[in-house]
Amino acid sequence: MFHFVVHRLRWLTHVPLAPQFFDALLLAWTALVNRPRLRAIEALESAAFELPGVAPCLHRFGGIGFAHDGVEFAHLHGNGLLDVHLTRERAAALAATGRAAPHHVFGPSAWISFWVRSPTDVNAALGLIEEGARVIRLNEKASAPGVGRLES
Amino acid sequence: MLVGNAAGTVPCLLGAYLLTFNDAQLGGLGPFVALPSLFLVPFLIGFVAAFVWRPLHLGIGMTLAHSATCTAIGLVSAGLFLGEGIICLIILSPILLAGVMAGALIGRLVFRRKKNSLVLCFAPLAILALVEPGLREPHTGAVIDEIRINAPPARVWPHVLAFDEIPDPPDYWLFRAGLPYPTMTTNGGNFVGASRACHFSGGAVFEEKVAEFVPGQRLAFDIVKSPPDPELIGHLDAYRGQFELRDNGDGSTTLTGTTWYALQVRPAWYFDWWTHDIFRAVHLRVMNNIKRLAERGS
Repeated sequence: MFHFVVHRLRWLTHVPLAPQFFDALLLAWTALVNRPRLRAIEALESAAFELPGVAPCLHRFGGIGFAHDGVEFAHLHGNGLLDVHLTRERAAALAATGRAAPHHVFGPSAWISFWVRSPTDVNAALGLIEEGARVIRLNEKASAPGVGRLES
Repeated sequence: MLVGNAAGTVPCLLGAYLLTFNDAQLGGLGPFVALPSLFLVPFLIGFVAAFVWRPLHLGIGMTLAHSATCTAIGLVSAGLFLGEGIICLIILSPILLAGVMAGALIGRLVFRRKKNSLVLCFAPLAILALVEPGLREPHTGAVIDEIRINAPPARVWPHVLAFDEIPDPPDYWLFRAGLPYPTMTTNGGNFVGASRACHFSGGAVFEEKVAEFVPGQRLAFDIVKSPPDPELIGHLDAYRGQFELRDNGDGSTTLTGTTWYALQVRPAWYFDWWTHDIFRAVHLRVMNNIKRLAERGS
């Protein structure tokens, strides 16, 4: 369902609030049918916002955004799919070892995708978010302007 | 939770109150300020509720649980104070819940970031919620259903004109939940301009006037007065109906029933779906009764 909407109904992102409605429904569905995953999402969110300089933001396609100095570098969808912006080399290395997958829309790029399915995935996901925050801090002076214009 | 609901209810009550004035008193602005948008009001309820819930530091699960409670309070309030019918509230509840959840989840992130402000960038949404309905035209449509009856048109036609109480219990789930369903039709004459009445359960009566009368082929009627049912008022207006008979040439008849309607509520795609589903159930209850009577006669 998620993949169908993301790939086939992409035009919905142009309808104000539609992605947010969709992600709210995803979260509600997760809460109803997969409590361990919801617990993992909650745990990851709490831990990520404890990281220095990491603040919440609205991801424009719905979900919980993670930003540093107003620049989004990661987001977590309501079904537990975490997308993190790293470097191309690091993303490729993670994908090669199977520790993460290429981004679910962009494919091979500086973005990786990681499924948070249960509380046992939280530490690995948090590690990726920490790494994303580190990368964005290093890139700050290169004036990365926003998620839509980050290297993909 | 209550404050969030109250904030969302205020524009609804304001709109309802303004509807009590006539258009001249409002300088033609009545429809413009009334009936706030169905998507935006629930969103605002959740959004404002999230602002109020900030000190609770709710997690995602608790935010969803509070949103569900908030929605339940909103539905009960709409029934008690706005006079909404229970079927309307059942139909409305998925959109209301989704809107409140979306607003609360977004608000939770926004207010976590900007702890002490209501974020004025969302103020246009509140304005849009009031203004948008005034910009729309009523959505019109027609529901058409067809059945085959194993009897010639001459045997079917008398039962199209009028029939006694339908003996079958309702089989459509919303009828069983309390939505009025057709029980009988009376006929005041076989000519254009004659009065007809379609009786529904609970004493609801649709008064009709024959608009087209072609014996054995077509009966069309305008619905001149609908019952004052809270499920209909301000939401849905069925304004014309028609039965058409087609001789299949093999001793059977194809009976086509059509209802034309105007929807005042949005989103049209959502309520259109419900309208078709409900009118189809109404059609089939009446048309299956005509089929039973006509086939028994043969």
